[in-house]
Parts: sequence; structure tokens; C-alpha cells
Amino acid sequence: MAERVFITGMGLITAIGDNVMENLRSLRLQQSALGPTRHIDTIHKDILPVAEVRHSTEQLAVMAGAPGVQGYTRTTLLGLIAMKEALQSAGLTEADLPAAGFVNASTVGGMCDTEKVYFDIINPDKQGEFLDYIDTLDCADCTQRIADETGIGAHIATISTACSSSANALMYGARLIKHGQLDLAICGGTEALTRFTINGFNSLKNIDKQHCKPFDRDRNGLNLGEGAAYLVLESESQVKRRGARVLAELSGYCNANEAFHPTAPSPEGDGAYNAMKQALAMSGRTIGEVQYVNVHGTATLNNDASEGKALLRLFGDKVPMFSSTKPFTGHTLAAAGAIEAIFSVLAIREQMVFPNLNFSEKMEEADVTPETRLLEQFPVQNVISNSFGFGGNNASLVISRYE
Amino acid sequence: MNKHRCYIQGSAAISAQHTFDGDFFSAPMVTTSTNNLVAAEPDYKAFIPPNSLRRMSRMLKMGLTAALKAVQNSGQPAPQVIVTGTGKGSLSDTEKFIRDIEQYQERALNPTPFIQSTYNSVNGLIALQQQSTGYNNTFVHRGFSFENALLDSMLQLHEGVGNTLTGAFEEMTDEHFYIKSRIGFWKDTPTGNAAMFDHNTSGSISGEGATFFMLGTERTPNAEACVTGMKMLYKPSAEALNKALPVFLEQHGLKPTDIDLVITGRNGDINTDHYYRVLLSAHCPATPEVPFKQLCGEHDTAGAFAVWLGAQILKHQQLPDMLQSYATNVPDPIRRILIYNHFIGEQHTFFLLEQA
Repeated sequence: MAERVFITGMGLITAIGDNVMENLRSLRLQQSALGPTRHIDTIHKDILPVAEVRHSTEQLAVMAGAPGVQGYTRTTLLGLIAMKEALQSAGLTEADLPAAGFVNASTVGGMCDTEKVYFDIINPDKQGEFLDYIDTLDCADCTQRIADETGIGAHIATISTACSSSANALMYGARLIKHGQLDLAICGGTEALTRFTINGFNSLKNIDKQHCKPFDRDRNGLNLGEGAAYLVLESESQVKRRGARVLAELSGYCNANEAFHPTAPSPEGDGAYNAMKQALAMSGRTIGEVQYVNVHGTATLNNDASEGKALLRLFGDKVPMFSSTKPFTGHTLAAAGAIEAIFSVLAIREQMVFPNLNFSEKMEEADVTPETRLLEQFPVQNVISNSFGFGGNNASLVISRYE
Repeated sequence: MNKHRCYIQGSAAISAQHTFDGDFFSAPMVTTSTNNLVAAEPDYKAFIPPNSLRRMSRMLKMGLTAALKAVQNSGQPAPQVIVTGTGKGSLSDTEKFIRDIEQYQERALNPTPFIQSTYNSVNGLIALQQQSTGYNNTFVHRGFSFENALLDSMLQLHEGVGNTLTGAFEEMTDEHFYIKSRIGFWKDTPTGNAAMFDHNTSGSISGEGATFFMLGTERTPNAEACVTGMKMLYKPSAEALNKALPVFLEQHGLKPTDIDLVITGRNGDINTDHYYRVLLSAHCPATPEVPFKQLCGEHDTAGAFAVWLGAQILKHQQLPDMLQSYATNVPDPIRRILIYNHFIGEQHTFFLLEQA
């Protein structure tokens, strides 16, 4: 268990940009991408804002270098675009990939495309090209297509723990490296917007009709988003062997369950507190050494109250700068953990703290105020990134400056 | 995974056979004349209070019940870690929510099927019921779902946790059976599980079930068997597969002749059953072999059932009556079992089990 785990590459696509540089630019310009959906057929189109990747699925196929391939869902294409950037950013070549592992995350697999043809699929009288999408519903479909397209072959897994999925993917990849099972693992998640999830969260009365307001007194729910993000993790010895450029260290992580309620967090934030505390302990850093927390901050009533209390429990009166970046990207479910892990790396590399948009007044439940300004030249050494999900799944990552 | 070994301290399986209660070893095989082997659901009331039961869908009931029984059978306290695998999660909830959206035109939807369709909903329920606040993870990768859950559990044990509750669950619905029939998953004519190996046709027989294990590093009084190794191979070439088996055995200090019994995932599909034939005839031609999918049907997490079956054989030191006809020359004692399973020719796994 001696190996340290380093982040040596990253790639992402979200509503605020097609790659890491574009995302960083939008964060700097404080440009959110929330708005009406252009690609989903739903009665909520003009009522519930989403953070949608602006390109059509056909355009994404061109960007992914796979135009006209039947059976590639939007989920797969988003993933493929992020994956290609991650591999390039790490300087990995084709020869490196058969020995690489791939730990992907997804909450509804290829639902984005399957739901459009589902009633044809179950209708014996219908025949057609939709049959190519019959087996794309499950979460492994996008993982395998991305692995097959890139040639990653040593280990393959898909994780689905709701909104903490890709944080858990990063954790599993890091542990496979620490145990010597792999030297190189590419981990993250991909999520496309669907009518299924929009209606799911809407039926839970969890979606705000306005742009979400994390940690605000008047917050009223989340906005969904889509995107994909992957980080290249490598063992210390492999980094030396390959002469890889290290972007940051994944110095700590923890997955803890609340065992409280199927969908709601505990009022005192037990799971969030445990996850952050144990992840920090593993990293060997103290609470005073954390300069920034990229909170889960969905802007639901329950999450922010509970996460705010957990921050107070862990940090007392010394809560570090924190912000939710979900008003930029929307809540991208399975991709959120990896997207925000990349934002955490950017916070360290660019010495920045990203603003929590749409905040005006502190909530009553917890005496915490998110950072609303864009801070540049701010000395960020260690970041905690939180992802909490249904089923009581709480995950925290600690990302540290490489030294 | 070579240096890691763990004990199956207790287990439970819900399948088409009488594996959950009843005498699995002397019972005749439950058969169907259709191509869909449906799980024999137990009386859930002994495990789940009636008011919770009413709200839960079939997959949640099956998963939670198998999990609770495995803990009970182990005689161990609540698990510290819960890791599961499922290829499809609660299919009936997913289908119901898709239909509700259409039927009610996206208005006034009941959120319950959406919540229960989430792949980690079974895990969340088990954690809630057992008050297990530790590590909790769900793998959803077809024929590597249970396998990654087992690997993750073994890593957890190696990292020092006392025990893990590790399992898999899968449900088949009429609708999904039809969907998969459109891409040739099942045999064209009703064949039944008893005759699934006799037809030399493509496709298999579908199945479902829930299988859970309490795993730990300690050899507890109820311990059934030891998991000593596992190897996953994703879409291996014939050559890679052929090389992998002897390497896997060698990594565990074994020769092919050290294996007393091979359990294979043969499923009667002429397109993919050759993998088993070729590999075994090359490396273990004289080792007795029993297939298992006639008992539980083909599904993403059938590998979990195979591990359960292997553990029962090692614990009871005999083959169940329903498997006797497949292998007559099983050695006594049965010390070591190799399981080789693949799912639709894509995800291949070797498991190594030993007497506890």
C-alpha cells in the first residue's frame, strides 16, 4: 500500500466547454450554461433549466471521431470525447493502453437514446435501425465501447452509486493501483441528460425552475446537467518510469454510508462529515491545510443544510473557502465527481477559487457562507471534493498539490 | 489476486432451485419448459416488515432478503462493508418509470419506481437495515458486476476491514426477455433448462436470482469455503485465454491436476460454448466438469451463483443429486474447485475456491 497515486491527465466535456481549457475559461468568465433543453423532448422544456452540452448527438459523433457509427449513444460519445482528451493530456500512446484499467461511472447508461425508441423496441410489429440500440441501456455499454475504441484492456469496471458514482470510480482506480493490480487507471464518469432523469428528479420535487442557488436561504432545488470527465491515475513508480507530468496527487478519499434514508441525507450531515474527515485523515493533511472545498452543493433543501452542518462539524469556526460549481455545469450525476475533481486540480494548478454563483443570503440551517467571488492567485494546496448520492452514498476526495 | 484469500463465512442464494430453503442437495432439479428460469421467491415476511414489503419492488425484496439471510447464516455481526454487483438493477422499476412517463405524459409521477430503479438502491436498503455506515459500492458491468464486487471486497479485507457483505442480484421481466430475444439472446424454440445443452442451437435460457456472501479473513465456525483467487479477462483472444489459465493456476502454486472439479458457465449457446470446450480440453482434459446454468439460467451475475454452488460442494463434500449425472469421477475429498464462466463471450472469469 506504499504507492502514492498521481493525476497525470484529464479530459472533460460539459455544458460550459468541450475540453478542460474551455471549462476553465467559462469558470473564469463566470459564465453559466443553464437554459432550456434543445435536445430532449419533454413538457418541461421551457420550465426546468438544464446545463446541456450544446452540440447535437451527430456533432458529438464527429467530435469523437466516430461519425455514423450505429449504436454509439450520447453517453458513449460524451465519454469518448473526454477520454480522448484525457489520454492526450497524459501523453499516453496506443502502446500504453492495453496495460491500462478503465473504471467508468454511469447512472442510466444509454437511456438518452434508448428512451426515444423504447416503445418501438417492445413492439413486435416494429423493425428498424433502433434495434442497434437495444443493448445500450445498461451502464456497461458505454464503458465497453469507450474501452474498445481506445484499446484500454487490463481491467474494466462500471460503478453506479447515483450522484457519487465517479468519485467512487476514482477511488476504486486508486485502490487498484495501491494494491499493485494496475499501474495506470483511467477513471471518471459519463452522463447524458434524459427525459427519464428529468422526470425522476422532478417527481421528487427536487428541481428548481430558476437557476439553482447552492447554500442560499432561498435555494429551491437542483438543475440537471450532462457531461463526461476522466482522470488518468498513475502509481508513483509508473510516473517515474514513464517520465509523466504530474498534475496533482489524489492524496485521500473515503466512501461512507449514512444508513439514514433511501434518498435524503441525515440532518446533521453524518455521512458528509465522516467522508470528509476520513478522506482528510488518509491524506495526512490537517483541517488547517485545506484551502478550498468543492462542495456537492446541489442546492436542494436537504443536501445543502446537511453538508453545511458537516462543514461546521469538521472545521468549526475555520471553514475554508468553499463553493458549489453546479450553477455552471448543472448536476451531472454520475459525471459530477470526476468533473469536480478536475475543477479541484484546476484550483490547485491555477491557484484559483471558483465562485458559487446565484448566492445572496445565508441559509438558516447552518452558519456558512460560500465564496461568491472569483479568487485568483489564491494559494490552494489541498482541496476536498464532495459527492453525495441516493442510498446514503457519500464520497469525498482530497486532491493535493504535487511536491 | 493471488496473495489474498478470504473465507465465505456464510451465504444465501435465491434462484430457480430450492437454494434458499429446502434441501438443495437431495432435491430434484426445478425445470421449466420455457426459456426463462424464474427465481423461487421465498416468504419475505420472515425478513422484511409488512409495511416496508408493500413499498418494495421484486428486485429489492429478493436482494435485501438474500443479503439478510447471508448475514444470519454467517453468525457474524453486521457487515462493515457492503459491495454488490448487478447488470440491470431493478428492471421492473426502470420499465415502470419509462411507462409512467409515457402514460401520464410526464405529469404527477410517483417517484418510487425512479428511486428504486437506481442501481445502488438495494445497497442503500441493506446499509439502512444493518446500520452499516462503512464503505458501500455497486458495480454495474454485465458479466463483471459481481466479479468487480468480489475483487473490491477482497481489497477491502486486505485493507483491514473485518468483514464484507458481497453479493449480486438480477431480475428478468417479460418485457426484457422479449427485448433480448430480438437480438438472439435466447433459444428460438421453447427448450427448457433440462434440455438446454442438447439442442446445438444458438441462444440460451434466461435466469435471475440474488446471491450474497459474508466474507472475512477469519475462518469462522460456519465458514463454507475459501476464495483464493480470481482473474477477469475482457474480450480475450483465443490465444490470450489459452495462456491465461495456466498462468492463473501457477500464480496460485497449482498445476491443472491439482483441481478436483471444474464448474463451467456453459449455457447451450453454440456460438460461445466452444470457449469452455477448447480451454478445458487443452488444460484439464481429465478433470470432472459440471455446468451450472441449467440451475439458475443465464444472466449478468450468474458467476455469483457459481461461487455459491462451489462453496456448497466444498462444504458438503459432495455434488448435489441434480448434478450427479454430469460427473461420475469426482475425487474424495474435493479440495479445490476452478470456476470458469463467461458472459456472452465478452467477460471471462476464473474463480478458485478451496475447502475452508
